[in-house]
Amino acid sequence: MPTTLKDLMNNPKEALLKGHFACAGCGSALAFRHAIGAIADKAVVVIPACCTSVYQGFGRGVAFNVPTINVAFASSDAVAAGIKHAMEKKGKEAHVVAWAGDGGTADIGIATLIGACDRQDNILHIMYSNNVYSNTGGQRSGDTPIGARTTTTPFGNKAQRKMVPFIMMANNASYVATASVAYIPDLVDKVKKAISYDGFKFIEIDASCPVAWKSDSADSIKVARLAVETGVWPLFEWDNKSNKAVLSKRGSKFRNKENRKPIEEWLNIQGRFKGMSDEEIKNLYADVDRQWTFLEKFLE
Amino acid sequence: MAEEVVMLTGNHSVSEAVKRVKPDVIAAYPITPQTAIIEYLSRLVDSGEIDSHFLRVESEHSALAAVAGASWAGARTFTATSSQGLLYMGEWVFWTGYARLPVVMAVVNRCLAPGWSIWVDLQDSMAFRDAAWIQIYNKNNQEVFDTTIQSYRIAESKDIALPVMPCLDGFVLSHTSSKVILSDPEEVYNFVGDYSDPIIEIDTGKPFAYGSIVMPDKYNKDRKDLMEAMERAKAKIKAVNKEFSETFGRSYGNGLVEKYGDDDADLTIVGIGTMADETQQAIDMLTSEGLKVNSVRVRTFRPFPTEDIIDIAKKNHKLLVIDRSVSFGHEGHLQMEIESVLKRNNIDTPVIGKVMGLGGEDVPYTRIAKVARENL
Repeated sequence: MPTTLKDLMNNPKEALLKGHFACAGCGSALAFRHAIGAIADKAVVVIPACCTSVYQGFGRGVAFNVPTINVAFASSDAVAAGIKHAMEKKGKEAHVVAWAGDGGTADIGIATLIGACDRQDNILHIMYSNNVYSNTGGQRSGDTPIGARTTTTPFGNKAQRKMVPFIMMANNASYVATASVAYIPDLVDKVKKAISYDGFKFIEIDASCPVAWKSDSADSIKVARLAVETGVWPLFEWDNKSNKAVLSKRGSKFRNKENRKPIEEWLNIQGRFKGMSDEEIKNLYADVDRQWTFLEKFLE
Repeated sequence: MAEEVVMLTGNHSVSEAVKRVKPDVIAAYPITPQTAIIEYLSRLVDSGEIDSHFLRVESEHSALAAVAGASWAGARTFTATSSQGLLYMGEWVFWTGYARLPVVMAVVNRCLAPGWSIWVDLQDSMAFRDAAWIQIYNKNNQEVFDTTIQSYRIAESKDIALPVMPCLDGFVLSHTSSKVILSDPEEVYNFVGDYSDPIIEIDTGKPFAYGSIVMPDKYNKDRKDLMEAMERAKAKIKAVNKEFSETFGRSYGNGLVEKYGDDDADLTIVGIGTMADETQQAIDMLTSEGLKVNSVRVRTFRPFPTEDIIDIAKKNHKLLVIDRSVSFGHEGHLQMEIESVLKRNNIDTPVIGKVMGLGGEDVPYTRIAKVARENL
């Protein structure tokens, strides 16, 4: 049975307690609450340098209701793998999750991410992407969309977006999915499904960041939903047994371009895209098409 | 299976010790001259001879990260590296030390590039003398075997809880066979004990956060605790050396330093690693010439054997410190520490420093004797 909003409200195990430091409208905190909340009884969370290492709180006041290990930037999967192997050796059951941002996953962390995937270490990597180095004030990352103004691309990012889910498919992760903070029940279902697989699992969540995206904190869900509805963020899952991708129910109709809203609707409610030239917008459309062209090869 | 006497390289001596202590998790990345250690261990794991998990990671950075993770989860761990590999894992060397995880990592000393060279000096491990690891430098393959075993007893003591780096000179020890007594596996395991009551252990359903944001008062308290643990480690290393001697009949000075020759010498040669072992031959030669010389091998560089150095400086007349590593813009690392100890304690025994053997340069005892004569 798919998870419903009512199920979420009745979740007996809260992963994120009161007193965290996340900004209003933080997509990461919302995603953490529900993704980790879905598996909280058996979860161990490894967090590299990122917003989550800060907003968890400090000292004895940490707001995470699961064992949490904070580690160096480029190493969440290696540490998670070490923990998982140790717990297996000790005969302990655990869902060990490397919870990292886009910088700690797509950029500095990608070698250790792929290394753990090569070995099929039995862990889940959750990449929450706010498309930017939010924790250090909003610098461009490998997952920044074309055209975005960041503090290191003040006139717009020109580089293509690094599609980590596709990299993980090519590298034979056992399960790969994308998710969005706009569709929390879908995210929870994907986390629960991921942990049913042996080996290395990967989920990327589009996680709004009102600070870096220069959007209204009240619009965090709306921005994330528009990313799906404009086709910027395809929602799908894939596993290596079938080598087939399946579009998620909430996002499936956006496979057809005619059903998509114009990308400009997504751009216009975010300050980070203010001043984009027609050419940048054209390049962004082309980059989104590139993603769908790749994904189509795996769709029925 | 009882004790065996074999011809063995330093690398295999490490592996034979690790085999006997039975780590739960090993993670490693290959680098010359460390490779034979991990090749042998991976064979032992894959053939089922030891029941460990072996992670063949994609970098040294991940090697130490993985064993740190396993150590947080309450596992006994092992890794090994050298030179550039140690530098590449540098972030985790400090992280592991500051986290006080009882990891044991063999470092096969090799000089640093450029230019490419695979031979010994101590520049690699000396670069991490401030990383809160216990560093024990060895003189021969027997000591390599013994120190690796002792390292677990020291690291896993709850009153110490610090990572330990047994260091062995690349090629001079790592790839050179010599006689090694391999103690009975069961006796060795009994000596280190099992690790069923770990220093730290992750359990699901028991939330805690490790390494989250810390304010300056707590940060300083943690570092003060660390300093005190390092201080306590001196007595622990001595005690383990003594207990090891009682169990296996082998010891290394008092555990911190190993003295050679009589006190009241006109010149005391202080060194570290295999060069300090070579020095003992120079002492024999010079003594036979009627000269009053002796030597000291610093076995434990961290914690530094301050009290022993004070005692030695007081009982002798001049110190010649031979370093195999150097702080550019200053002087040899060992000389630096010794001068600082003497100055702090108002001891005016003269100290002469000499840096030798960088990049694997051969330093025979005849050359050490020549330098000694020049400084007598």
